[in-house]
Amino acid sequence: MITIEDLSVNFGRTEAVRHVSLEIPDGQILGVVGESGSGKSVTALTLMGLVSEEATVTSGRILYDDVVLQEAGKPRNKALYRQYQGECMSMVFQEPMTSLNPTQRVGRQVEEMLRLHPGSYGSLEGGTGACSGREEGAVVCSGREESAVACPIRGEGMGFWPGRQERQAMKQLVLETFAAVELREPERVYDCYPHQLSGGMRQRVMIAMAIILHPRLIVADEPTTALDVTVQNQIMDLMREINEKRHNAILFITHDLNLAKRICHRIAVMKDGRVVETGTPEEIFERPGEEYTRNLIEAVPSRMKRRTRDERRGSIPSAAVSLQEKKPDAQKEVRAEAAKGRQIGAEPVVEVRGLQVYYREGGNSLFSRGKKNHVVRDASFEIKRGEILGLVGESGCGKTSLSKAILGMNRDIAGEITHYSTRPQMIFQDPYSSLNPAKTVGWLLEEPLRARGKLEPDRAMSAADMRAAAMEMLKTVGLTEAYYHRRPSQLSGGQRQRISIGQALITRPGLIIADEPVSALDVTIQAQIMELMRRLQEELQLSYLFISHDINVIYQMSDRIMVMKEGKIVEIGETDSVFAHPREAYTKQLLRES
Amino acid sequence: MKKRSGMKWNRYLTAGLCMTGLVVFLALLGVFWTPYSTTSMSASQRFAPPSLQHLFGTDNFGRDIFSRVMKGIGATIWISTLVVALSGGVGILVGALTGYFGGIVDEVVMRFTDAVNGFPSILLALVVISVLGTGQRNLVISLGIVFMPSFIRIVRSEFIRLRDADYISRARLMGVGRARILFVHILPNIFSTFWVSVMIGFNNAILAESGMSYLGIGVQPPQASLGKMLSDAQGYLTTAPWYALAPGLTIVWIVLGFSLLSEGIQRLGK
Repeated sequence: MITIEDLSVNFGRTEAVRHVSLEIPDGQILGVVGESGSGKSVTALTLMGLVSEEATVTSGRILYDDVVLQEAGKPRNKALYRQYQGECMSMVFQEPMTSLNPTQRVGRQVEEMLRLHPGSYGSLEGGTGACSGREEGAVVCSGREESAVACPIRGEGMGFWPGRQERQAMKQLVLETFAAVELREPERVYDCYPHQLSGGMRQRVMIAMAIILHPRLIVADEPTTALDVTVQNQIMDLMREINEKRHNAILFITHDLNLAKRICHRIAVMKDGRVVETGTPEEIFERPGEEYTRNLIEAVPSRMKRRTRDERRGSIPSAAVSLQEKKPDAQKEVRAEAAKGRQIGAEPVVEVRGLQVYYREGGNSLFSRGKKNHVVRDASFEIKRGEILGLVGESGCGKTSLSKAILGMNRDIAGEITHYSTRPQMIFQDPYSSLNPAKTVGWLLEEPLRARGKLEPDRAMSAADMRAAAMEMLKTVGLTEAYYHRRPSQLSGGQRQRISIGQALITRPGLIIADEPVSALDVTIQAQIMELMRRLQEELQLSYLFISHDINVIYQMSDRIMVMKEGKIVEIGETDSVFAHPREAYTKQLLRES
Repeated sequence: MKKRSGMKWNRYLTAGLCMTGLVVFLALLGVFWTPYSTTSMSASQRFAPPSLQHLFGTDNFGRDIFSRVMKGIGATIWISTLVVALSGGVGILVGALTGYFGGIVDEVVMRFTDAVNGFPSILLALVVISVLGTGQRNLVISLGIVFMPSFIRIVRSEFIRLRDADYISRARLMGVGRARILFVHILPNIFSTFWVSVMIGFNNAILAESGMSYLGIGVQPPQASLGKMLSDAQGYLTTAPWYALAPGLTIVWIVLGFSLLSEGIQRLGK
């Protein structure tokens, strides 16, 4: 149905897509997998005619059946595209927060699809392809013409302001579609504003909007990336179901090979704007032809390949413990620690007893004190020296609130937190906001040392020593000294995260809290950063509280894991035993769904 | 095309730099040298139209208007600079503290700035002048007070935006002191925004100063001032139009120049 032939798209002089050829037959789910910057989104946007004006198609063409939608050297035919967009092909975007208009009720927004395309929809049960049977619009796709069910709504001359009967019929159709995407209480959802819905519900609304006109192709650009694992699974199931029931083709774009494997009939792997490999999921996973595909598959954290502590230890040269601190007593300290052996100590670095974290609702005003709202209830645990404690749970379960409370960044707490290490540090999720953009890398790495020098004058270091320590740290986190003078804006996400780790480690804190440190990174980079964090943990005898929503990442990293749900710690135990014999239903559900 | 530095020269910048460059050059030159004395009068040279001897003509006392414009630009720019420095400086300090710490003090300061904003600015400046008395120093103080709220608000909102940024949280975890967080960690990040508001404020200050002098409560005679010259020229609009046009167009030139410059700087980052 859709044929992309030898497509190349340039932005100025940058080649975003290079000679891509893809075919999407009717009813098939084609997965396009690649890391950020691989050109997968640009390909989809070009197909949809939504790519920005700066982009030029430099070679190839895009065909819809036999109609040329786009061709190299010709400007985009917007009028032609208007006939296809929405009716024949529609799109679901990644960010359900921003792809709905916050000022309009969602029902009306979905209804707008019907208003903009009068006469191109039938009743839901009829299963009439929108792209079929529109006699006068002969340009528009010839499609399946099974049952030309009478359109309940007068198509011609309806205009943008329909009469009451038409409005009723449209609303009915929207409600039916809401039911089809498994939104509970469609009537209520119809009258909701986007902010009243959860991320998953918003994404369902987006899908409803995409399928209401029965397009033959749905382009889904990372539709589940912004969602929690359990919700992600539901959305994936829904997409597969829609594909089975309605036989529309889906172009599914994702960075996650495992997701693609689950629902796609065929997978195309993209890298640097090229398709490096295509095949069925079985072919791709069992006999990856390309080195890059193999890397991608291996980089995906999975429960099959957790390395045990002993194996890990063996792989690390013990001489690698780098002594950056020039002060002799500090050196002694590190050596003594290293000599203690690389085992999880009995003594804790932090103990938490009966911790409650709450925020005050509406407490922002001058005259009112809001009522308490608990986000963490009665949390008790400890982290031992040299241990990685994994914390897993869905968004909003209180993971971040808990970590901030431990670090003293949240004052609204009750309970007891005892620290046995000095100044624990945190690594944040978003590498783009965790480094001060106004400073150089060198300055950023030296700042913790300067701050410590102020607080503890006896540990103050000279400028030369700090510079040396920063250079050393750059090497430790796998970068070169050339990065010393760069600014964060000149670094990639992975490089920034390395600097963040370096900044957190340079004062040698006993405890590091890592809040989703790899979630914003591409899968191959993710594997590198996890490897780095593990290596440093071994070398420096660190303790991590490692937070993630991805239970596979947690599995690979942690010695013990802690499962959180709705502010409560529901399960805590040795990683292997929790994975082998989960006690709680929620843990079982998490394990099943990933 | 994205260059590595992320900077991109543009025509606004060229035009703005040329226009303001000329103005600043004339003002600086005017401090040391003017073609004629700005105060020497000549009965025979009254209302001479623009010519090679007198570029902008002469006024009702036979003084050279070009020389007086040069001096006037100097006075206007100097006063505007002081006004912006005063209100911008207080703005950074107060905005940083209220934005970062919030709480009751923030609330009180905000209501105070609302109150100041509630008055028409010229009227407020008039009130301050009538309390403090006229004179260049008091003019700067009164305009400074009028301009303060906008700077406070801009700086405050930027500090609110950045105070919870991840990198500021991390600085706190490192044990960086509050003052250092405020002025070393956050402040450099708001400069682009702040710089634009300084340029806009500077333009407004030029207009306000001219307006005050026009009303006779700004720069006092015999010192030259663009606003004062405008008001003096009022009576001779038909007989000697160049008298009003010279200071008027100069004000337009300065304001346009600085507007283009600030626009150019804003586009530099994009």
